Parts: sequence; structure tokens; C-alpha cells
Amino acid sequence: MLAAGEGRRLEPLTNRRPKPMLSIAGQPLLEYVLEAIADAGIDEVVFVVGYARDRIRTHFGDGDDWGIDLEYVVQEKQLGTAHAIAQAENAVDDRFVVLNGDRIIEPSAITSVCDRLERDGGPVLTVTRSADPGAYGVVELDGDRVVDVTEKPREATSELVNAGVYGFERSVFDAIEATPADDAGERQVTDTLMAFVENGGVTAVRYGGLWEDVSHLWDVTRVTGHVLDRDGSTNDGTVAASAHLVDPVHVGAGTSVAANATVKRGCSLGENVTVGANAVLSNAVVLSDAVVADGAVVRDAVIAENAHVGANATVAGGEADVIVDGRLYGDVRLGAVVGDNATIGGGTTVAAGTVVGDEATVDAGSVVSGRVRSGSEVRRG
Amino acid sequence: MCGIIGYVSTGQGGNDGDAEAGATGGGRALPVLVDGLRNLEYRGYDSAGVALVEDDAVSVFKQEGVIDDLDLPDEHAAACGVGHTRWSTHGKPTDANAHPHTDCTGDVAVVHNGIVENYDRLRADLEAAGHEFSSETDTEVVPHLLEAELASRREAATDGGRVDDDAETRNDDANSVAEDPETDGAGDAGAYRTAGASGAFGDVDLVAAVEAVVDRLAGSYAIAVTVAGRDEVVVARQDSPLVLGRGDGANFVASDVTAFVEHTRDVVYLEDGDVARVSADAVDVRNGGAWVERETKTVDWEAEAAEKGGYDHYMLKEIHEQPQALRQTLSGRVDAVAGDVDLDLDLPASVLEDVEEIQLVACGTSYHAGLYARRLLEEFADVRVSVEVASEYEFTGGRDPWDTLVVAVTQSGETADTLSAMRKAAKAGARTLAVTNTVGSTAAREADDALYIRAGPEIGVAATKTFAAQVTALSLLTVHVGRRRGTLTSERASHLLEHLRGLPGAVQQLLDASDRLEAVASEYVDEDAYFFVGRQLGAAVALEGALKLKEIAYVHAEGFPSGELKHGTLALVTEDTPVLTVLTDGARPGETLNNVKEVESRGAPVIGFSSHDAAANYLDVEIGIPDLGVLEPLVANVGLQLFAYHVANDLGRAIDKPRNLAKSVTVE
Repeated sequence: MLAAGEGRRLEPLTNRRPKPMLSIAGQPLLEYVLEAIADAGIDEVVFVVGYARDRIRTHFGDGDDWGIDLEYVVQEKQLGTAHAIAQAENAVDDRFVVLNGDRIIEPSAITSVCDRLERDGGPVLTVTRSADPGAYGVVELDGDRVVDVTEKPREATSELVNAGVYGFERSVFDAIEATPADDAGERQVTDTLMAFVENGGVTAVRYGGLWEDVSHLWDVTRVTGHVLDRDGSTNDGTVAASAHLVDPVHVGAGTSVAANATVKRGCSLGENVTVGANAVLSNAVVLSDAVVADGAVVRDAVIAENAHVGANATVAGGEADVIVDGRLYGDVRLGAVVGDNATIGGGTTVAAGTVVGDEATVDAGSVVSGRVRSGSEVRRG
Repeated sequence: MCGIIGYVSTGQGGNDGDAEAGATGGGRALPVLVDGLRNLEYRGYDSAGVALVEDDAVSVFKQEGVIDDLDLPDEHAAACGVGHTRWSTHGKPTDANAHPHTDCTGDVAVVHNGIVENYDRLRADLEAAGHEFSSETDTEVVPHLLEAELASRREAATDGGRVDDDAETRNDDANSVAEDPETDGAGDAGAYRTAGASGAFGDVDLVAAVEAVVDRLAGSYAIAVTVAGRDEVVVARQDSPLVLGRGDGANFVASDVTAFVEHTRDVVYLEDGDVARVSADAVDVRNGGAWVERETKTVDWEAEAAEKGGYDHYMLKEIHEQPQALRQTLSGRVDAVAGDVDLDLDLPASVLEDVEEIQLVACGTSYHAGLYARRLLEEFADVRVSVEVASEYEFTGGRDPWDTLVVAVTQSGETADTLSAMRKAAKAGARTLAVTNTVGSTAAREADDALYIRAGPEIGVAATKTFAAQVTALSLLTVHVGRRRGTLTSERASHLLEHLRGLPGAVQQLLDASDRLEAVASEYVDEDAYFFVGRQLGAAVALEGALKLKEIAYVHAEGFPSGELKHGTLALVTEDTPVLTVLTDGARPGETLNNVKEVESRGAPVIGFSSHDAAANYLDVEIGIPDLGVLEPLVANVGLQLFAYHVANDLGRAIDKPRNLAKSVTVE
């Protein structure tokens, strides 16, 4: 399980936690993947961890909660996915499955790889159909045989993309050794695979189930909504009688929702969250220990751990143009992201598409938009 | 301080993890005992051993050292056995002094936790009667007493019999560390076996014999007994913890649920004076000469949480678990809107209204939690509070027991000094409340009420998350007491509760800065001594920070109120004595800053845990503490824990098992 990456496109949410630990409906992405693995009948898992690994170890411990024997290996520097797999060389047996720790899949993706690996040997590549193939590794097939994989092509020649679930035999470690580093000095498993593809040695299994990728900040609310639609509501908190929850929502343990608050469908509240009286949450993900104070309106937003949204603050929600890593994403549904430990003062208006960095503070009554850097202070002008 | 475990099954099952196929635990005793002992190592680990019951012998494997060093067979067919991990009280850690202990015949094996106070006299009597002792332990009198008791009962039952013959034929060395069952001739009937081929012992009832033996013991004990050829473990409890676990076709006994919770969560807590027969399919308990019923309860925490999961040490894992532990402590108990708490206590409001004094009794880290709580109780609940080291406690000073509430703070609920203080208070007539992490512990059962801190199991000897959870639970108690007494307004209570709910997030914020503390620790690892100072709540945390560093890093560290520096310790302050200081709300940072200037002018490096803006210029290292009112010192303490951990780690110390220390101290 590759869980060492940082996920910089998801800043500020990944400033303190690795991308696989992003919380979706009350549990980390990685936990969905681990559950799928357990359901597929695999009970030995190696986590390749690196960035902010304490978060992963603290949550998963030795894996017993999932009936899994869990081992950790550390990738000290994030030098590519192939390099990450190489770290597990001494921890795996003759045949093994490699997955990404940040993509929600169903157990069938894993069982079909295992079956193929048993029958034909490796490498095995899982392909799935994507509406946006150009964002992934586009795969061309000849029957079951992979003939080409092109990373993020301008023009996709096929709608089938690499789903990131691989089956390997130990021979892959020699191939990784021989894989050239890319321009960034990293070695990617897709390049390793190309060596096998050229020899006609990679077979593909098709997968049509749930395949949820969290690449961008606005995916957090979207994927949370999908998972809640699939799994239904859970409520372990304390909800005032006059508060209104519209299914499906997730309310974590120790969370309180005060009188007349409304939490609409698709919202997820972590543990020890405080939702004040008359607050209205819609398509919102609120992580543990955060506070949404009385009368605040939070729409299409992620409120990260221990963040504080003051009384009567408004996150208006809706669509906006957002720039990530110099690329403009037009009309994405992102009300706001409020980073960990950030404070939004009472009565503040937060324009759609705003990203407030962790530990930033915004004065009461401000109007904010765009990016507020981590740790900075916004004063009312 | 020791840990004991016992297991008895039908023998069905493969021990291959497939619990469906046979008895719970897999049927074979050896792997269950060894795993159980590993889980009990926090109770002591200077020697270990197991006894495995065979048809005509009990095989004993024991030696000095930790359980993983024990020389054991790869497999053993026994379905019944007992094990022990020892923490020396009487006699050095040696192979001979390791448990289990056996009688002269080698047919009776006993493990024991506690102290037999009258063992000198019993041993003299037994030696006079011809019994040979092989160890220096108090425990060894038990198997010999049992041997004598069983022999006399069998003699009575069989009207003579072959007891003397047996004693002559059995000349093999009962003291050998790993007894070879082959030395017992196949036809050699054991001393207490009747001629019946069934393996039964005729009229000789082991429970009755154990009852007779424990009647002669003075002191504290949890004892588990096995006898050759019998698929049963007989146990007895007096002032030492003992719990039974119930499975399918198998049952367990142990000092602590941790030992077997991976196999079963259905448990029976024994009471003082209980003697129980545990067989594969039944648990029968006697007390005071009659059979009694003991309720079966279900424990809900996860023993697996007790495993290290990727961390180098339990202590670091437990430090990182604090946000989640604190969420559990608070969960469902806080109504910040109403400014009140729901602690599920029976403590009547009328008692709290009349209370003149609350006494907090505790030891070690729990004592420091008490010092912290004292300030909160006095300030918020407006009640007089005293904090006493439990081993020093007496109920004196003209206190009125009916107007005194005694709160015993103990993580394990088994700390002997704290239990003893609590009993003194109860005897005087005071109402008692236990604040503990351990459901069903002695403290929880003996006190009038129990408040659980819900921190989850803590294995590292150095308490970390339980300190934070104790202070948090005591803060909730502060609100409870203040509101019942009418001395705390709902508005102030609400404010305190909002801060409490902010605690997990603030602690996480400090944990996110753990790399920085690791770097600071490695910069200051080789120094002459370390001083920890703070005022008020900061003084409690200073004591706790110094204790952590002492116990795991083995370096000299002192904590005290910062105002005391100039009254003596300042003479020790040099360039090579870093001063760690708490400069936050609740710790009078402005005044402490003056003390910081004093040490700084003597060249001492100052590491400040600070939310006080004016402090930055006077600190060599500043670790920021988020705004959280009177809970800021508790957040700062997490920084002190990380500092102590990394200093100890850089020094290569055995962090989870510091020398000379055990997790919970069940002797006075």
C-alpha cells in the first residue's frame, strides 16, 4: 500500500497529514482501501509510509481492528512510486498486490488482480473507464495484453485508464532497479511497467466498480457525498431535538449539534465537533475538534481539524475558478477550505473558492477570497 | 508486582488462529500463556516462567529475564497451564526465584502476585516437617502448604495409602528449571492421585485444599494453582487483582484483562476472599465457605490497541494517541451550551453541597494530575482541596469524615499505596471516589463511585496519555462539583467546557510540531541537569515534566514552582543546566518570566513553552502553545513528554521498561 506521498495539490489539508489520511465521512481514505483489502481476503499488508507517517501509525496501529497483520516500511524521501515499492522488498513474498492508499476501490478490483496473478503471473494492471482519461495514465489494450500506457496525454486515444492496482512477482524489484529516473529524479512504477509492456508481459484486468480519486480540494466534499449515499447515515453524537439532520450525514462521537441547526445531506462531522445553534451546513465536511459557531452558514466547504468558524460567518458556497499549481480549474464547486487550527472571525463573509491556510486567522467582519497563506493574519481593512 | 496468567481448555483446536475449529485460544496452553505474559510484561519483567500440566507431571520452564528470552519447547500438548512474569520483591531475580514454584513432588505448581507476609514462620514450620525449599521467595510456601494439605486429605480419604512410598520414589529434582517429563516413570502414580485411571483425585478436592491453605496466609495474593493430571486451574484472590475470562471450551485467568482479551471479552472479576475452580467449560467461585455467583461482564476496549503498531516505543505511540484519548474522555459528557456535565456518578448533590474539603490521594504522575486538579477545583468549584501522596496519607487533622470527599486517582486502579489510603479514608467514614482508567479495578469496585478517564490501555511505564486524561476527567469533575454546589456559574462552566473541547485539537497542534521537539532534545541531550519551572498549574506540569525525564532518561531533573528558584536551586544553575519553563495562562507567565531572567543571566539555556507574547526575547527555544485558558499548561506538558522521550531515545534508554520501575506498583 503506497501511503508515503504528501499530496501537495491538496494543501492546506495536507500540511499536517498525508493525503491518504484525508477524512471522508468520518474515516480516512486509506481506511476504505484497507477495508477493501480485508474484504478481498488478504490479511497481510505492508504500508509504505513517509510524509507525516505518525498520523497513519496512530490511526492503524498493528491492523488488528481490520483483522490484518500490518507492517510499516518507511520511504524517507519521496522518490517516486517505483522507489516506494522497492522499500517493501524485504517485507513481501513471491507475489503481491500494490495499491494506492488514496483511492477508494471495491474488493473485486483486488480479487481479480489476485486471480490473474495466480493464473498467469505478473505484472497485472487494473484498468477502469474514466470520463476524464487525460488526467491519468491512459492504457491501450490488445485483448488482455497491455500495449501502451501514456501518462496524462493531451489527446486520449482510449477511455481506459490505469486504476492503480497492480499485481507483481518479485521480478519487479530487478525491473525497478533498472528503471531510469524521470526529470524530477523520481522513479515511477508506470515507467517500470513499460519495460514489461515492451516485452508483451503485462496483462490487464478490467474493473467497473467504484473508483474514487481525491486529487483536488473540491473532491473531498464530492467523494464524501458519494460514500454517504453508498453507506448511509451514522450518528454517534449529541443532536438537539430541534436540530435537523437530512440523511445521509455522518456525525462522529462526542460531536454536538445545537438547537435549530440544520445539517443537510452529504455533510460529514468528525469527532468532538461543535455545531452551534441555528448554524446551517450544506455539502460540508467538518473535521474533528472544529467549531462552527451559532448562526454560521457553511456550504460546499471543508472545515479542517480544530478550525473555528465564528458566529454568523458565511461561507456562501457555489462554483468558482480555482488555481492549483499554476493551473486554472474553472467552475469547480468549492465554497471554501478552512485549514487546520485556522480561525474565521464572527460575521466574516468567505467568497466561493477561498482557501484559508492552516493556523491563519481572519478578523471578525472581514470579507475574504482567494488564498490566505498558512499562519497569516487577515485584518479588516 | 507481578503478572499471572492461566489457561485451561478441552484441548480441541489447532492454534492456527482458526478459532472456529475448537476451543477459544486454540486449545494448547503454551502459546496462550506466552502471548498473555507478553501482554503482562508491563507489570514486571525481571523473570518469567510457565507450568504445563501433563498426565503425570507438571513441566516447568522458568528463568531470569524477559519472556522472549525464556527457553521453551516449540510445541507442547498441554491444554492446561499457568504462567508468570515477575517483579522482584522477595529474593533477587534468579532462575530459582522465578515462578511457577513447585512442591517437593513437582506435581503442584503455583504462580503468585502479592506478598505472603507470614512466610518466614510458615517456611520454618514446613522445613521442620521435612519440606525442602529451592528459592528465596515468599511464594514457595504455597505449593508446599498445598502439598501437605493434599497429602493429609488424600490420606484421610484413602485411609493411609501410598503417600510415603511415593515420597521415596519421587527423587527427581523438583527444582530443575526445565523439568524433563521423561524422568517420571510412567507407572509412577503422583502423590495426590487416587488409583482411579480417570485422572480424577477421588475425594481430594483441590478447591477445598486451596481454601485451607489461603486461610493460613497473611498478606496479599492472587494465586493460580495447577496439579499434575488435572485439567483445572484453581485460583484465589486477596488484595491483588485477578480476573477470569470465559471462552468456548476454554477459560482464562489473569492479573489483567490485557493478558487474554484477544481471545475473549467476557470476564468475571473476582472479589477479595474468592477461591475459584476454572475448568475448560466452567467457572465456579467460592467465598466464605459457600458457592457464590459472580457476574460476567464484557470489556469493550481493544487489547490490540495495546500493540505498538509501527512506533518504536509504546510511550511515543501513547503520546500520539492523546487527541483521540481525550476525545473519548470527553465524549458524551459535556453540555457546553448548558454549562454542565453528565458524569454518570451516584454522588448525591446533597453530599457535594455539604462537602468542606476534597482530598485528592495519588502517587507519581497521578499525584501531579491531582496537583493540577486542585487549582481547578479551588478556583472554579470554590471548594477547599488538599492533595496527598497516597503513601503518606492519614485521615487526621480534625477533619469531619462526613464532610470530606476523598478522590483516589490511579491509572491502574491497583496501586497499593493509593488503595491503602482510600481504605483509610473509607474506614474513617469518608465518601470515596476513584478516578481510574481501569473498569472493574480494585479502586473502582471499592470506592463509592468511579469516574473513568477512558484513555484506553497504556503500556509504556511512563504515564503520558493517562495524565492528560486524568486532568481532563478531573476538570469535568470540577464542573460537576461546582455546579452541584452552586459555586460555579453556568457561564464560567461553559467557558471551561469549551476549552476542554478544544483540548484534543490543541494537543494535536503540539504533536504536529514534534519534529521540532526532537531537534531541541538532541541539542540539549548531554547536559548536567535539567530544571523544570512554572507557577500554579505550570508548577504541577513542571513536576510532571521532570518526573518523565528522570524515569525514562535517567538524568537528573527537578521540577518546582519557579518562585522557589531563588530560595536555593539557583545555586545549581549553570550554562550546562537547561531550564524548561511553562509560560502560559494559568501559570502566571509574567512572574515566571522574571525567574527566567534570573537563570538566563547565569547562562542557562531556557526552553519556554509559551503563549505569553513578552517571553520570546528571553528564550533560547520557544515552543508556541495555542490559546486555551487554564488548559494551556496541560498542552505544554505534551511538549515536555516529547522532550523527555527524545532525550531518552538519544541516550538509548529502554523507554518502555525503564530500569527499576514497573507500570503499576501493587506493593506498598
